[in-house]
Amino acid sequence: MKTVARILLRFSEKIVEQPITAQVILEHGVPISIVAAHIDSKGGEILAEVPSTHVKKIIDAFREKGVTVTVPKLIEVDSEKCFDCGACFSLCPVGAIAFKEDFSVVFDEKKCIGSPCGLCVDACPARAIKLVEQHSSGLIK
Amino acid sequence: MKKLVENSGVEVAYKEIDIVTTGTFGAMCSSGAIINVGQADPPIKIQKAWINDVEVCHPGAAVDLYIGATIMSETRPFEYGGGHVIEDLISGKEVEVRATAHGTDCYPRTRLRTTITKDDLNQFYLLNFRNCYQRYVCATNSRDEIIYTYMGKLLPKFRNATFSGSGALNPLMNDPDYETIGIGTRIFLGGGQGYVIGEGTQHDPGNQGGTLMVRGDCKKMSSEFIRGAAFTKYGTTLCVGVGVPIPILNEGLAKKTAILDEEILTDIVDYGIPRRERPKLGKVSYKELKSGAITINDKKVRVSPLSSLKTARKIAEILKSWIENSSFFLSAPAESLPTDTVCKPMKQTEEIAFVNSVTHAAVTCTEDEDIKAVAERIINRSVNHVVVTDEQGKLRGIVTSWDITKAVAKGKRKLADIIIRKVVTTKPHESLEAASRKMAQHQISALPVIDQDRQVLGIITSEDIAKLLGR
Repeated sequence: MKTVARILLRFSEKIVEQPITAQVILEHGVPISIVAAHIDSKGGEILAEVPSTHVKKIIDAFREKGVTVTVPKLIEVDSEKCFDCGACFSLCPVGAIAFKEDFSVVFDEKKCIGSPCGLCVDACPARAIKLVEQHSSGLIK
Repeated sequence: MKKLVENSGVEVAYKEIDIVTTGTFGAMCSSGAIINVGQADPPIKIQKAWINDVEVCHPGAAVDLYIGATIMSETRPFEYGGGHVIEDLISGKEVEVRATAHGTDCYPRTRLRTTITKDDLNQFYLLNFRNCYQRYVCATNSRDEIIYTYMGKLLPKFRNATFSGSGALNPLMNDPDYETIGIGTRIFLGGGQGYVIGEGTQHDPGNQGGTLMVRGDCKKMSSEFIRGAAFTKYGTTLCVGVGVPIPILNEGLAKKTAILDEEILTDIVDYGIPRRERPKLGKVSYKELKSGAITINDKKVRVSPLSSLKTARKIAEILKSWIENSSFFLSAPAESLPTDTVCKPMKQTEEIAFVNSVTHAAVTCTEDEDIKAVAERIINRSVNHVVVTDEQGKLRGIVTSWDITKAVAKGKRKLADIIIRKVVTTKPHESLEAASRKMAQHQISALPVIDQDRQVLGIITSEDIAKLLGR
């Protein structure tokens, strides 16, 4: 059972220079790890991981500070359907899909950024890759 | 074999190794299954039939049907097709058969609906007319948009590539002169045993483009090695597992089966140009392809296999174990496969014209020019369209004689204010039919011709097309 949930934070131009993430961590004493980030002077996006027990509280804290928070869908691979062709491999921008020595395709869900990307989903000829809501997988209640 | 030849030489390898097993597993579109569904009461001579809403063709007598792998479901097109029907039947699932007929004195029935499994079929044979391509090209995409092809999803501007085939593990790569593979060669097919029944369609052995026609009993196959597949916006197909044993009859075969991935080269081809002869961007070896990254235009890009190399290896291993435990016996071919056929293009009685056949130089200007100067150019060169470019000759916009007239009427002086910046364009390899459809749709009479970097190559006008049609 997974114990961390993923949230996508969008910072507008107005608030991008404030240390909001650090403030939330300090105020709530909850660890937030950054999976991916793209930030410049015009705004930015952070994909973050938070303990699933504290997701609600953290989302509210970010929203109070003017951050737009969405809960991205995550990639789920059906290993029964996957026949290890690797059609998905070259589409992944973060290197979350790799080959083992025996040419099995392995998926690293820690690296995957989920629905902000999703490039691999419609490239799977076995239809083994799906984007799923975190709510439905019980990560966020 | 490959290691032994490298370490101890061909002579030793020839003495030590009796058989080399090979394998491949990938999408093979020219596949399908012939089935006999048994006769109904009252009997029917099927005219049209569907299984799980996939139309199956009726090539022969009353109740023989052929399930084509690429025929798509009428209710779930691009997601479910003939390949999936074959997989579902092999895995024991129940499928729905519907049929219609004209009705005759001997076959009065005109409609039929039933459900069946493979156990209800009299015959259920895989009958694939082109499998096992010796090698295939590596596909990439020059366009500035994602394209979806039978070679998978290709990102814009050469950002990825795909390839197919198992390289040095491919059956035909190991016996390129067809010394042991011929009509009647027993093979691993879809998890069961099948036979080579001839050369495949488009068999082109001289260009390392050999193919096989194969047949095997689906009732003895496994859905691990026969899988329906769906390529987004292209359609459905069947992934087929084939393995061929190559008996090492002579030293020559020992040498040939020692072939390595680095010795097998293939072309990198631009699928962004939808023509029969797609531009080639260079050569690449299967060793590089299997490494996961190749170089295109000096940039490293990731490359996806579309065939499962893991399953290909597994097939070769299974075939080896079958031979070792005497559950598979090699057979000598009854007849050799041709080694001199070539794959011809279609004879066309209607020539299709492309944009590049009517493209001519465009009259151009730059953004900072005076309206008057552009107006003079329109008169001097007697054209209606002036293409606006930057200093590098890249497209910035277009101005027509109508725009100039309007500007003069409204007292506008700056060219920058009247340029149309959202320009509808065409590319040299677009068909004229598609280009003229664009003009009609947007109610315009000319299209700048640009390349992938938006460099202006020329212009085509509705007059050019009219002249061509009037010839």
